[in-house]
Amino acid sequence: MARISFENVNKNYANGFHAVKDLNLEIHDKEFLVLLGPSGCGKSTTLNMIAGLEEVSDGALRFDDQMVNYVPPHKRDVAMVFQSYALYPHKTVFDNIAFGLQMRKQPKSEIERRVRDAARKLEIEHLLDRRPGQLSGGQRQRVALGRAMVRDPAVFLMDEPLSNLDAALRISMRAEIKELHEAMQTTFVYVTHDQAEALTLADRIVVMRDGEVQQIGTSDDIYERPANTFVASFLGNPPINYIDGEIEVRGEAEAVFQHPSVTLTLPPEMARKLSGAQGRRVRLGIRAEDVDERGDGAEGHLIHGTVNSVLPVGSDQFLGMEFGGAELFFRVGKGMRHKNGEAIALTVDVNRLHVFDAETGASLLYD
Amino acid sequence: MANTAIHKATRRSLLDRYGYEERSAVLFLAPVMLVLMSVAVFPILYSFYLSFFRMKLTRPNNQPFIWFENYSDLLTNELFWVSVSRTVVFTLISVSAIAVIALLVALLLNQEFKGRRVLSTIILIPWAIPYVANALMWKWIYDSGYGALNGALYQLDFIDKYMVWLGDQDKTLPLIANAFVWKEVPLAAILLLVSLKAIPADLYQAARVDGATVWQRFIHITLPAMKPGFMLVMIYETMMAIRHFDLFFILTEGGPGDASHVLSWHIYVETFRNLSFGSGAAMSYLLALATFALSYFFIRTLGRRI
Repeated sequence: MARISFENVNKNYANGFHAVKDLNLEIHDKEFLVLLGPSGCGKSTTLNMIAGLEEVSDGALRFDDQMVNYVPPHKRDVAMVFQSYALYPHKTVFDNIAFGLQMRKQPKSEIERRVRDAARKLEIEHLLDRRPGQLSGGQRQRVALGRAMVRDPAVFLMDEPLSNLDAALRISMRAEIKELHEAMQTTFVYVTHDQAEALTLADRIVVMRDGEVQQIGTSDDIYERPANTFVASFLGNPPINYIDGEIEVRGEAEAVFQHPSVTLTLPPEMARKLSGAQGRRVRLGIRAEDVDERGDGAEGHLIHGTVNSVLPVGSDQFLGMEFGGAELFFRVGKGMRHKNGEAIALTVDVNRLHVFDAETGASLLYD
Repeated sequence: MANTAIHKATRRSLLDRYGYEERSAVLFLAPVMLVLMSVAVFPILYSFYLSFFRMKLTRPNNQPFIWFENYSDLLTNELFWVSVSRTVVFTLISVSAIAVIALLVALLLNQEFKGRRVLSTIILIPWAIPYVANALMWKWIYDSGYGALNGALYQLDFIDKYMVWLGDQDKTLPLIANAFVWKEVPLAAILLLVSLKAIPADLYQAARVDGATVWQRFIHITLPAMKPGFMLVMIYETMMAIRHFDLFFILTEGGPGDASHVLSWHIYVETFRNLSFGSGAAMSYLLALATFALSYFFIRTLGRRI
């Protein structure tokens, strides 16, 4: 059982760098929580504070109800998987996995049993006598997981554990980590900068930037209802498109988005939320996949432009479209045949539009 | 006629076996190879050849070939065995002191603290001093009349009269070793520091999460990671200590008595004072063999688990 809570936690370094700013976060017991953000956003620092490898400068970090600010790492009942795996190079796989138990003075027979058990689950039994230098990246990854598993910790911490693997292996290891979480029934805190990893693994995602939390929510919340342009931009491939313009309120549940080159009619529910935004400068967000290439929609749902590039990506294709001096990228079906320079119209799924304040970048639709 | 044709064909194929680049390489390397052959390889082989003669410059007309007699004579030469034992003692004291002190210095320099860079530079100074200059400096420090060691110990009340440090048979070897260690520690420390710096920080973090104490982290991570560095230091310093000559020549000339009569000094005396080039050459070869054997031993024992 481990519930972790951050109460107004700050992390300052001696050189004045403020890595984590006023963090308030509650990680539920047995939850799979992913800390997502670009490098330098404070996600690894946050993880290291949970591990006890970084001191909390200010605020309270609690495991269940006990404050652990000053509790050393080995007394926190956490296990950690590092990006580099951090395997002891001169020890065999067996001793790498056993090290934590040996340090905790577990009886030899118990160590033997637990190491073999973990190795069997991870299918690395045949590697127990080898050294890390003799293993492939994927095998090292498994040993690192084994080292964490064998301790049966209350909290499992992972710092970008898949980023050193090749793409195919990353996807299969992702599935295994998800299974591991289900099997172990413990709290997982996972750091990554990879949106796909975050979306597939997480019960909840915490998006961070410059030491501050941008949004906390399920994969759905984060992707479908981004709180600001940063979150919206960070997830999605190709990234979300933005068009700057104005809101024109035409009635209680009627509003349009106005841009010199396009006018889009907003659905009633959205219009209601924007009823007080008459004349407001906004940034409209259209996700790459939220258009229909047939372009047979009603007026007020269409966006016109010129084809700039067509990039097949196997399952579908990315379409670059010149619009109002900028380039927008959309994801369209494989069957679509367009040439560069051709004028096209795409139907926008207006129910899935995102509206952000042009200055602050905050969503005007969702909190 | 037919023979010549075959001969030509063979010659061409031999030349063809090496491409243009290889042939140019041989051509460019030839001058330096010639120089090396004449100043290094030839003298080494020639001295080996000499070791089979009774060659004494005081008797230039009587230099018979005596097979291995120079070598077998050594087995019964008491002074030779004294010199071997002195060399072993000197090497043991020096190398173990260098290993321990260099490790401590490397661990210190691996810490982040103010003035670390300045201290690193200062610590390197002894390394930059030539061996002879180092020996002369220590001759002054150990001097019985005006030496700094006597001065310091006297003023601190550790001694009540000036001592003839290098005249004391029990203290000579440790004192010479001390001067040797002072000169050798910087290089050894830098070599060890390189191994230390190469240890990834997350190994220590992983060990902290695993519950290892500071001492356990040192034993399980730091020491094993430093093995290659240690091996290098042990081999290099052992070779330096076994063959060291300058300090013995300048500080004690093998004395008092035979207290610092090490092998390198013995070879010098035999060769250049007694002018026995044959037996001097034989001993030099034994010293070289011993050095090789020790290096091999270190590589086998320390290198096995790297």
